[in-house]
Amino acid sequence: MMKINVNGQQREAHAGESILDLCRREGIPIPTFCYHQAFGGQGACRMCMVEIKEEGQTRSRMVAACTYPLTQPAEITTESEQILRIRRTIAMLLARRADKNALLETMCQKYGASRLPAIVVEPANCILCGLCIHACAEMGKSAIWSMFRGVDKRIATPYDEASDDCMGCAACAQVCPTQAIKVEEEGAVRRIWNKTFALVACTRCGKPYATRDELDYLGQHGDFGQEKLCEACRRKTLAANMQTFQA
Amino acid sequence: MGGRAMQTEMNPGKGDRQTVLVCCGTGCTANGGREVFKAFSQSLQHHPEIEVLPVVKATGCNGWCEKGPLVRLIPKDITYCSVAPADVDEIISKTLLQGVPVKRLLYRDPVSKEHLTSHHLTDFYRKQHKIALRNIGEIDPGQIDDYIQRGGYQALQKALLGMERQEVIDTIKAAGLRGRGGGGFPTGQKWQACRNAAGNPKYIICNGDEGDPGAFMDRSIMEGDPHTVIEGMCLGAYAVGAARGYIYVRDEYDLAVQYLRQAIDDARQRGYLGKNILNSELSFDIELVRGGGAFVCGEETALLASIEGRVGEPHDKYVFPTEKGLWGKPTVINNVETWANVPVIMLHGAESFAAIGTDKSKGTKVFSLVGKVVNTGLVEVPMGTTLREIIYEIGGGVLKKRSFKAVQTGGPSGGCIPAALLDLPIDFDSLTEAGSMMGSGGLIVMDDHTCMVEVARYYVSFLAGESCGKCTPCREGIRALLEILTRICEGQGSIEDLDLLEDISVTMQQASLCALGRTAPNPVLSTLRYFRDEYLEHIQQQRCPAGVCRALSVFHIDPEICNGCGVCVRHCSVNAIRGEKKQVHVIDESICIHCGECYRQCAFDAIKLR
Amino acid sequence: MQIDAKEYENASAYQSLIKTYAGKPEYLLAIMQDIQRQYNYLPRLAITMIASHVGLPVSRVYAMASFYKAFSLTPKGRFVIRVCDGTACHIKNSETLLDQLEKQLQVRPGQTTADGLFSVETVNCLGACALAPVMVINGKVYGKVNRSEVERIIKEYGGQSDAN
Repeated sequence: MMKINVNGQQREAHAGESILDLCRREGIPIPTFCYHQAFGGQGACRMCMVEIKEEGQTRSRMVAACTYPLTQPAEITTESEQILRIRRTIAMLLARRADKNALLETMCQKYGASRLPAIVVEPANCILCGLCIHACAEMGKSAIWSMFRGVDKRIATPYDEASDDCMGCAACAQVCPTQAIKVEEEGAVRRIWNKTFALVACTRCGKPYATRDELDYLGQHGDFGQEKLCEACRRKTLAANMQTFQA
Repeated sequence: MGGRAMQTEMNPGKGDRQTVLVCCGTGCTANGGREVFKAFSQSLQHHPEIEVLPVVKATGCNGWCEKGPLVRLIPKDITYCSVAPADVDEIISKTLLQGVPVKRLLYRDPVSKEHLTSHHLTDFYRKQHKIALRNIGEIDPGQIDDYIQRGGYQALQKALLGMERQEVIDTIKAAGLRGRGGGGFPTGQKWQACRNAAGNPKYIICNGDEGDPGAFMDRSIMEGDPHTVIEGMCLGAYAVGAARGYIYVRDEYDLAVQYLRQAIDDARQRGYLGKNILNSELSFDIELVRGGGAFVCGEETALLASIEGRVGEPHDKYVFPTEKGLWGKPTVINNVETWANVPVIMLHGAESFAAIGTDKSKGTKVFSLVGKVVNTGLVEVPMGTTLREIIYEIGGGVLKKRSFKAVQTGGPSGGCIPAALLDLPIDFDSLTEAGSMMGSGGLIVMDDHTCMVEVARYYVSFLAGESCGKCTPCREGIRALLEILTRICEGQGSIEDLDLLEDISVTMQQASLCALGRTAPNPVLSTLRYFRDEYLEHIQQQRCPAGVCRALSVFHIDPEICNGCGVCVRHCSVNAIRGEKKQVHVIDESICIHCGECYRQCAFDAIKLR
Repeated sequence: MQIDAKEYENASAYQSLIKTYAGKPEYLLAIMQDIQRQYNYLPRLAITMIASHVGLPVSRVYAMASFYKAFSLTPKGRFVIRVCDGTACHIKNSETLLDQLEKQLQVRPGQTTADGLFSVETVNCLGACALAPVMVINGKVYGKVNRSEVERIIKEYGGQSDAN
């Protein structure tokens, strides 16, 4: 354990953990857009910049809390004029991409960001946090990735066409902080990333809950139970089983 | 003292044998250098009366492209400029056979009007001090023996057979060599960190992804002296204990790729690469990787990603590549010019290298002097030489005697230096206070016909296409900067725009993921600092004082000065100028597209900007 | 992802090119460069075959293709005209050359003429700054080019002269 001073208070950090992990554990707030506990830090949105001065250094420097590894005693500041200006500017810039989105509206208000003219991005409201890419890579077959570069960069399937690798599981849509990924459902059909999927009905309540492709993939990668149950019914069944067990 | 000796020792000469060196670098090839080479090769076959058969060689870029195609005859040391195939026979009969120079092909000093025989006597070459460029224009880059004859691979021999690995690192440290790619990191320190790091195998990489527009130092070395890079890398590999190396070459550099590939093959054949080099314990080999066309891949971590088969997105460098680099292993990445200096330091010792330059910037630096300057090309001078010396004494001053406005240094990461600061010495640290940096060595001279707002816009536009797009401040910041600058150039700017430019710039400098984003605001901030009035004139007077921004430039011909020569008519692409020969000409406003060609072409300054 | 049936005729040709490299991500750039050089673009089928060979998802290979300027996802023209927009060329008015090309060929940078003859691109500094402005057509370098020379050169390659 190392002694790290954050905002004037002594804290204890595990060697090698990120500044953000330390602060989250200690309840010190640092705003982020592209961080997710499941995937670790990406260093993309730059909202989490903090100042750090390590032992032996004369000046502090601005680093991304989500990716900076703590390896020696240090002093960290999470709120300063420069830091607030960075947060304000990042919020202002990202809000252009998600002009009417509630999350960006909140961040702009919180940091006093002025609003610049909106820009058209694809998908609408995407702030390029990249969380969807991680979700798809972890849970699925990497059907989407960030394509092109610079100001033209956007998340897409190859050729913007229905991808053979897409299972329609919508894990990407679930992690998206601005709900930018469109999932259209009508009856037993789901449409996402320009691909149409047949939805399988829950055997208990009859609600369409997962795509055939998704269930096939899960089936190939392990036995997740023969019974096709939606989330709610699975919980109810589990609860019932637990009761029976305890009885 | 030490420097000069170093230079000549690497040039043992070829004895009595006459050699014709025809420059075939990219610049001279475009001007027809290869045709001249072919003409010499052909014609010299038909001269049995010559006692020694001259050897015609293709050489690497001399850098003096303005005067190309260049032909140099040694050992007489006569240089001919702008040579055409039609001149070849005369050169052979007069100079090679009779020893008489062909006056009209000699370089003519614009001030003294003298004809000079040797390129060593011209201002352009005289004031240079070649270490990294020592072999360029003197050897055939496709012949390993040329390199060896000029002392090549002697440094490697000396190190492998007589020095400890740590000794090599200590020599580089003592020499004070710092990275020549722009970062200026102490090379010895980098090698030491890699040597100390845990992990195997270790890697040596040459960063040949030279991307700064206006810079071609590395191209010249890779094309003209590929073996110096290889020898440097071998020495680095020995020092840190690496077994594999990569040379990452920019995709657009076809000729460099060709010569490097051949040099690697030749080095392998001669035993300078491969297992147990020179029967020592060093086993090291190099692979060539061709870039995919991305400026951002000049950034170390993006370069590594590229080699690993990923898109060129950098990541935070909180842990250096010397600790975790290629595939997570300790890696040394150095620039082409840095590697080119290594064999010289190892062969001649740290002291003679450290005797050149300034306190904190040792040795020489290669600059590419381009733009509105008389003598364009590569210039290698000791660190600490002033901008004025380079631009005026070596460069010959501003083209067409126009007035100097600024010199852009450091490429898209640098800034513009105005006339008042021309006496600044160039080294790693001196330009930062002025709001710029030396960078990789690009020096772009600008005159009064250059619009500084448009220059800022140009650099931001360049980076908009090159940013990887991963982080918010760079991607969205550059987008916003470009929108604002374009608006200003089109006459739609407001005074508040200047505050917004500065605000966004500060965040980019502090929060961007990599140096591309962090330095992207530099051209904007430096032009704002020294040429704010030009910005204000665009915004408040709706006028571009340089006559570049089309929406803000209106031209008219002054009837008092116009002599009806008609040059402007020839250059007008829309036929907007009317006038009889020797009569005053007039621009038809209804047709004129405000491109400014007439304004720039008029030799009498008869066209005015309203 | 749709793949034209015709592309399968080239399948074995793609495969032999791809197989000259081991199936590892580190050869991705090199494989793609070879295909690009051979076919003047990256065919869809080739992209899926490359992905399979190196063991990566198709999205990753497409990301590479769309990220790096060396690659083209659509076929380029027979003659690729590259106008250098490096700083030296820019201040020597490379923009004028692009205007002339647009006038003559009716395409802007990034586009290919309808007859498939010409593609126009702006390219980063070629390092021939002393010859600014520079234009390269299929590897042949033209230096100190002006509008009328552009017109003449394009005609030599089979393009029309100015519309007016």
